[in-house]
Amino acid sequence: MSHFSTLKTELRDRQALVEALNDLGCSPLEGAQPVRGYRGQTVTADLAIPQAEGGDIGFRFNAEAGCYELVADLDLWRQPVPIERFLARLTQRYALHTILAASAEEGFQVSQQTNHQDGSIEVVVTRWDG
Amino acid sequence: MAQRSIRFRIRPDGRVDEVVEGVAGDGCQALTERLESRLGTVQQRKPTAEAFLPAVQKLALNQQSLPIQGLALDPLT
Repeated sequence: MSHFSTLKTELRDRQALVEALNDLGCSPLEGAQPVRGYRGQTVTADLAIPQAEGGDIGFRFNAEAGCYELVADLDLWRQPVPIERFLARLTQRYALHTILAASAEEGFQVSQQTNHQDGSIEVVVTRWDG
Repeated sequence: MAQRSIRFRIRPDGRVDEVVEGVAGDGCQALTERLESRLGTVQQRKPTAEAFLPAVQKLALNQQSLPIQGLALDPLT
């Protein structure tokens, strides 16, 4: 039935996550990748964005939660935005890619896409059913 | 023929508001389920009749410029 839902976005789909990272200018390496932290210690992640000065950013799939989680040594965080802002922007781009891909798969077309001043993105998809 | 529309608002923190417009058929349900499986946890779900109007009013308010709001507050001037 018709409804109104609010979803807390989780990073579940690898393809949409990669596209969202590309949007932020952080093209990731895919496959099991070492993520470097303090004094060259590493952990293995499923996606990694190597940083020239160490302190890589990685994403690890948490099978129990069914979603990707960011893994990084926060003491070595050198991005232009704080990690909370980075994750928020990433999650927004992830949600956009997921909505566009799933809509196309179900035969919906994008009839409107608007960037609002409050930073939100509005997307309207439509389909004609016989 | 019936037009099915789904309106999404993706907030800056990544939360997604979804409104199914018109009478939702199986297509909307399929898309909604497909999305929810990839996007994440549904925090809130309400029937459209209650939810849609306030969402539109809120949208209209956000799009109004400040002078119009001032006018609305003080209609005698």
